Amino acid sequence: MRGTARFDFMHFMPYIHLPENHKEFHSVWVDFPNKYYSPQRGHELYERYLAELILADKVGFDAIVVNEHHNTAYSMMAAPNLIAAAVIPQIKNAKICVWGTPPNLEYPNRLAEEYAMLDVLSQGRLEVAFPLGTGMEYWANPISPASARQRYRESIDIILQGWTQDGPTTYYGDFYTYRYLNPWPRPYQKPHPACYIVGTGSPETVELAAKLGFGYSAVFVTKQRALELNQQLRRSAAEHGHQIRPEQLPLQIITYVAETKEKAEQEAIEHMRFFFEDALRTTPNFLAPPGYLSVNELKKRAALADKLHGGFNFEAVNEAFFVAVGTADQVVEQLQEWGETMGTNHFNLLAAIGNMPHWKVVKNLTLIGQDVIPRVRAHATAERRVAAE
Amino acid sequence: MAAILFPSQFKRETHVVNGVNTIVLSAGSGPPLVFMHGAGIWHGLNFALPWTQKFRVIVPFHPGLGEADDDPAMTDLHDYVMHYLDLFDALGIDKFRLVGFSLGGWLAAKFAVEHGHRVERLVLVGPAGLRGKERPKGDLFLLPPEQIPSLLVSNFDVIKPYLPSDPKDLDFVGARYREGGTLARLLWERPYDTKLPRYLHRLTMPTLLVWGEDDKLVPVQNAEFWRHHVPRAEFQTFKGAGHLVLDEKREAVDAVQRFLS
Repeated sequence: MRGTARFDFMHFMPYIHLPENHKEFHSVWVDFPNKYYSPQRGHELYERYLAELILADKVGFDAIVVNEHHNTAYSMMAAPNLIAAAVIPQIKNAKICVWGTPPNLEYPNRLAEEYAMLDVLSQGRLEVAFPLGTGMEYWANPISPASARQRYRESIDIILQGWTQDGPTTYYGDFYTYRYLNPWPRPYQKPHPACYIVGTGSPETVELAAKLGFGYSAVFVTKQRALELNQQLRRSAAEHGHQIRPEQLPLQIITYVAETKEKAEQEAIEHMRFFFEDALRTTPNFLAPPGYLSVNELKKRAALADKLHGGFNFEAVNEAFFVAVGTADQVVEQLQEWGETMGTNHFNLLAAIGNMPHWKVVKNLTLIGQDVIPRVRAHATAERRVAAE
Repeated sequence: MAAILFPSQFKRETHVVNGVNTIVLSAGSGPPLVFMHGAGIWHGLNFALPWTQKFRVIVPFHPGLGEADDDPAMTDLHDYVMHYLDLFDALGIDKFRLVGFSLGGWLAAKFAVEHGHRVERLVLVGPAGLRGKERPKGDLFLLPPEQIPSLLVSNFDVIKPYLPSDPKDLDFVGARYREGGTLARLLWERPYDTKLPRYLHRLTMPTLLVWGEDDKLVPVQNAEFWRHHVPRAEFQTFKGAGHLVLDEKREAVDAVQRFLS
């Protein structure tokens, strides 16, 4: 593993108080009735989740990560910039990663401004990612999934122009006209905060990251697929004259540390089950609104969904995805191994899993901060020394 | 899928219109009758055979639907009106009878509003395009794709032969998804035309509105909007028929034929 290892704590901030009959609903996204949201319990959860993000900074994580979803109990971050703004004054060291608002679901000038505000507020600690947004977001927002990719490209173009060129400039696009593109404030970092594309590995988004020299974070793809995507990104980026650095390839890992392997599994599995069976539950139609995927991709995913049919299975999930549940030793070893194979030193840990109670998240973050982060870092540093000798 | 979608009487021609391969089916002889199909044509054309006794029935596939190629640059219904101006030039037809069903009804009305001198008689069958007051508003996107077929008819047996035995048949699902993408380009952000009512008074040609009384997709109540804007239009409804009234009721096919003759 090259360079200093970097650790992010990613929080989904789920609304975990689902009604008893929630399994009767085909989806906890899009049309899941919002009468089941209690603002009082929502308030308690916000307080708790913000405390967890702040704790991650204190125990030694390098960054906290938030993201955006709509119409769902899966996430209480319809506007992740608000969460970022709420934690910035209380997080003194860690980077603030908003990974992120789909740029095609917001006016691009406004998103450029909001991100610049966060960057200035945090004195240059912001990182952003540009997701296309899940299929579900298109049922919740008045933007067509059929032109989503074109609008997405144009929005990123506008944001980068607003950040990198002295304003006012003009932009005459297919979707937006700017006579005075002149965002105040400008980002603290020059030329702008580090940018990533977040995606499930469609060829278009990987190619875009390669072209722009952005990092790429594959989410909800299998280990094998994630490896292929990293390799593909390096190749395509090289063709565009960009060399992808290890820290540009955040690796998303479900992580839970406890005293013994058995205890870790026992404490984590029920919340992983909640995450996969309940928090992610939705319909094929919501996942893939018309025009959102190519027909080939749709057929591939439909065939795969049929194969994965059935309830949550820890072994199967463990096998398919990056899951590190065990003792600190085991997790350290696992991370080092994946860092090597994936060519990254950037670990984005899903350490607040599903409906995990506060005490487990605190325990998990504390053990990771105490026993995992320093050792992976030391290992990476030792390796660098060896390489230098 | 047991049924033959397009009976052998229909001959197939390919016309390249603005670079898009457009397949046109035609059968019969007599004055030209153009049929504009709806958002899907997987239920075939068997219902149209009686018309071929008296007319040259011309059924072009709309770009992005059925057997026509995709053209992602076509992003609103007016692009389809322009497409048909080119296609009708290529086919060498000037004046014709025009029958439009569902989305094709909306398109036919739009074409006739803009180019009324070419439309001798107009039939709109369960046309989409006007904003209804109640749900469903003819908004296909509110319906899960797997539920759409059964909502199209009053008697499911009528369309059963055109559906795959396995509802998860990947080719069928993929073909519908591809058509859904075309429809999303046209209709996602606005599944109706707010300007059309302003111009419907231009439908001065003899016009017939046809509806299935059990239409669950574009409920027959929507006919009131059309009749309000086109007061001289004749209006016929058919009992025991859903949105696919032509497929379900031979009487409806005959009524269209009588009106066009």
